[in-house]
Amino acid sequence: MSAPQYRKVTAFALAAGLGLSLAACSTKSDDDGASADGKVTITVDCMPVGTEKDLLANWNADVAAFQQANPDITVKSVSVGTQCNNPPDFTARLAGGTTTDVFYGYMTDLQQVLDSGQAADITPYLNKDNISTWDDVDPALKSVFTDGGKTYAVPVKNYSMGLVYNKVLFQKAGLDPASPPKTWAEVRTAAKKIAAADPGVAGYADYSAGNTGGWHFTAEIYSQGGQILSADGKKADFNNAMGKQVLQNLKDMRYGDNSMGSRQLLQWGDLLTNAAAGKVGMFVGAPDATQAIVSQFKGKYEDWAVAPLPGQDGLAKSTLGGGEGYFFKKGLTDAQIKAGLKWVAYEKLTVGKGQFDYPRAKPQNYPVGVPQPLLFAKDSATAKAEFDLRKANANVDPSIYSQFESQQLPIKGEPRNAQAIYAVLDSAMSAVLTDPNANIDALLKTAEEKVNQLLAAGS
Amino acid sequence: MAQDSGSRTLISAAQLQRGKGKYVYWTLLTLVVLGFTLVFIGPLYWMVTGALKTGQEVAQTPPTLWPRHPNFSNYTSAWQNLNLGKLLFNTFYYAAGAVLFQLVLDTAAAYAFSKLRPALGNVILGAMLGTLMIPTIVLVVPQYVTVIDLPVLHLNMLDSPFAIWLPLVTNAFNIFLLKRFFDSIPDELMAAAQVDGAGPLRTLWSIVLPMSRPILGVVSIFAVTYVWKDFLWPKLVMPSPETRTVSVGIYAFSGGSSQNEIIAASVIAAIPTVIIFLIFQRNIMSGLTAGSVKG
Amino acid sequence: MAIITATRPVDRSSAAAPARARRGRKIRDNLTGYTFLAGAILCFAVFTWYPMVRGIIMSFQKTRRGVTTWVGLDNYTRIFADPSFWPAWKNTVYFTVLALVVGYAVPFFVAILLNELRHAKGYLRILVYLPVMLPPASALFLFKFYAYDPSDAGLFNAVLKFLHLPTSQWMQSPGATMPAMVIASTWMNMGSAVLIYLASLQNIPGELYEAAELDGAGLWRRIWNVTIPQTRLILGLLAMMQIVATMQVFVEPLILANGAGTQDSATTVAYLIYQHGFFQNDLNGAAALGVVMLGALAVFSAFYLRLTTKND
Repeated sequence: MSAPQYRKVTAFALAAGLGLSLAACSTKSDDDGASADGKVTITVDCMPVGTEKDLLANWNADVAAFQQANPDITVKSVSVGTQCNNPPDFTARLAGGTTTDVFYGYMTDLQQVLDSGQAADITPYLNKDNISTWDDVDPALKSVFTDGGKTYAVPVKNYSMGLVYNKVLFQKAGLDPASPPKTWAEVRTAAKKIAAADPGVAGYADYSAGNTGGWHFTAEIYSQGGQILSADGKKADFNNAMGKQVLQNLKDMRYGDNSMGSRQLLQWGDLLTNAAAGKVGMFVGAPDATQAIVSQFKGKYEDWAVAPLPGQDGLAKSTLGGGEGYFFKKGLTDAQIKAGLKWVAYEKLTVGKGQFDYPRAKPQNYPVGVPQPLLFAKDSATAKAEFDLRKANANVDPSIYSQFESQQLPIKGEPRNAQAIYAVLDSAMSAVLTDPNANIDALLKTAEEKVNQLLAAGS
Repeated sequence: MAQDSGSRTLISAAQLQRGKGKYVYWTLLTLVVLGFTLVFIGPLYWMVTGALKTGQEVAQTPPTLWPRHPNFSNYTSAWQNLNLGKLLFNTFYYAAGAVLFQLVLDTAAAYAFSKLRPALGNVILGAMLGTLMIPTIVLVVPQYVTVIDLPVLHLNMLDSPFAIWLPLVTNAFNIFLLKRFFDSIPDELMAAAQVDGAGPLRTLWSIVLPMSRPILGVVSIFAVTYVWKDFLWPKLVMPSPETRTVSVGIYAFSGGSSQNEIIAASVIAAIPTVIIFLIFQRNIMSGLTAGSVKG
Repeated sequence: MAIITATRPVDRSSAAAPARARRGRKIRDNLTGYTFLAGAILCFAVFTWYPMVRGIIMSFQKTRRGVTTWVGLDNYTRIFADPSFWPAWKNTVYFTVLALVVGYAVPFFVAILLNELRHAKGYLRILVYLPVMLPPASALFLFKFYAYDPSDAGLFNAVLKFLHLPTSQWMQSPGATMPAMVIASTWMNMGSAVLIYLASLQNIPGELYEAAELDGAGLWRRIWNVTIPQTRLILGLLAMMQIVATMQVFVEPLILANGAGTQDSATTVAYLIYQHGFFQNDLNGAAALGVVMLGALAVFSAFYLRLTTKND
């Protein structure tokens, strides 16, 4: 830099001065979204990212169609990254008050959203007039977003876990892809055979980092008939025979049989990367994991199938369910809430539109036939309409999901404070998967103490 | 830059030219050149070629030295999906602003401490230097709640570049470096300028700054490197995909993509800086050499 | 920001005039001085001094549903009882010490070596500085996916196997986690330190070596008696900065070990602050952790100052 340049730079900044620059530091415009001509603007997050080309194009087409049908509403979409809810970013946006008007959250986020004081009570708006299919939405899902009789979000996705397995590797190991393991003992035997058939492959893989380890521990203890928290939600309830069995099963496969491969400390993307590369025989996952394997990690549908979650003796006693919804920011106008609900209803809860636009999805590189999201109450008219439309447009071999769909297990939701609890349980999972001498009793005891503390602090 | 042959270092030149010394020297030189190439270029080679492999090939034992079927799709998809151009632009933009703000405000402050010496100046300098010992992580939470709701003004600075620029002004080390340098400028020079009728601002511009080029260079390099290397703070205050820095963007992307794509993105992200560095390396090196604290 | 350019008041022939003029000038000089300081002071006030006080206040409060209440020492008792608290401290101190031994000594000897070589100087300097140019996330993903892959497909394990040495589980082995993190961190950061050392080595007068050699000092004695004393100031300064920087190690555990590693083998205090503040929705606990770290550093600095001043 030459002297004259310094001079210019200095002159500029001195002239600008700190006060001025602070004033210039513009923040999000806080307009209330209603302009003089009665138009309403709402911002909505969780727009698909560029990676998901078809999904993004579909979303944009939906916005255009929706605005055409509702000329007085403008939908501004915001993308928040590959994962719609990345806990630290979500926390940051909540604490900073920079969520969009209509914002995405996990079912487990309700308490955090309430703590932040950012969500509006939308109970009076939740009726057939605003969401035509509302009465058919599964009441269990509505209750997940309800606290003290007030509902704060509209459920838009609901999944439950099963056993995802690679049919090609099953065949290679001399196993029958049509009869996947039904118990954890069978999983262990199958994993051993798969790993023996190809030394580079993990017969069974599981998460142990980034909170996903705790998430799967939860699914697996549910399969044993156990739970994470006591019924009143005040105490940890996994330091028992069922919790031990979960970790023992993993330890046996990892170090007893050496059938889980050497790569551990996996989180969501790591495991799916390995799976898409054909290096994983089985893992616990929701049916939409197959979607991610294909669209994000470049795997093939033909290789995969989903079975119901195994249990200790016979199929799982229950499986983990979870899901997502859209919250509404506090302070929105009446018109904005109504417009937001209209959009959510259009994009997420109308058969033949948005996420249920199966005819559009059929030719795309996106499966039609996945038996989820299960948003509508069983036997309701909407559920039936959705089922028929899905069957009529299926573009993947229905047998991929038929086992899972035909044997539906009881679904249990995630515990209160799930993300913080999952972080604690991660360390128990990572310990049994990386330490041949891990002491299961001690691990569960530590985790129990930690969770109890967490619950005490949160109340 | 080159060591002039006259100056003597740890081992004398004569010793290195004698029979045995010469032999040892050349062996050592060869070893060092080969070793350093392996240690510093080796991993980069692995990175560039790894991203050309398929997922299956990367997971294979033993690893292959050269990809069997080089495949650029990881690079193209990383570039498109990650919006790397935007991320790189953001990072450079934040770095440039950080340099500007630090040069202007820290220089002005150091000049005041060194030459204008207002009453209680030393107390304030002490309060600033005291923060040198405080790691930024200690303040990250209260700083964060301050930034999302600025006192008095009640502005929310999330996703605004000022949330990166202004906190970086509080770099006591830079103020210390600058003040030390200004201290070495004789007061007589300043007095002479004053006699000529130059005010403090004129003196700063036309006398102090031109003499301080090396130290200003060092402060700029430090500022750029800091923004380039910082992770947690930009991750917290720039949560939107459009405002992220390269490092944070790649990290955010890593949750939902295959490993090779992330590595490909990493390679692409490194290219512009490496090129800039190679072009300006002489200036950067001599800047650091000339301006650093004399031992 | 207007710079005061007003001309001096016209000199009036009164007895009190000189004194008043002097006082006037003094006020004006101070005003000018503070005008120059204003920007920096404002930034320090808003982004450092105020947050320091606020952090301490926050650590005694709790906020639920938008309501803030005083809770005394609750946040502290909670974070002290967190089973990750002591492992985090142990790891942080371990990393700091290890990074000091490796990340401090290695660049110094590399600088001495480079300073002695008469050829390929530019090339070697560029090599050492190259990793500094990588975005930190890039460098760490390189180590995570390729170098520290625990299977035999990993770069390090492949090399170890080739040399018939035992392979390691790297980030999955509690014993190897911290050393592996220090290796990665040193590789990606040492360039700057090497250059700064090189600069200060070049300022050592050659006569000193000459004299030492005449006294019969060998290579190591010359390093010990000439090189180190001559670069003491810069060594001390860098050591201080290195300690403060490594105390807040965050991105290494976050990326290499997905945060906690196995059984808290990678958890650092900085990561714990992040985990409390932004994963567990516990900003107040995170603030308390920050205050504890501040206290620990204050004790350490006092100790360090005593030690160094005693020596002088």
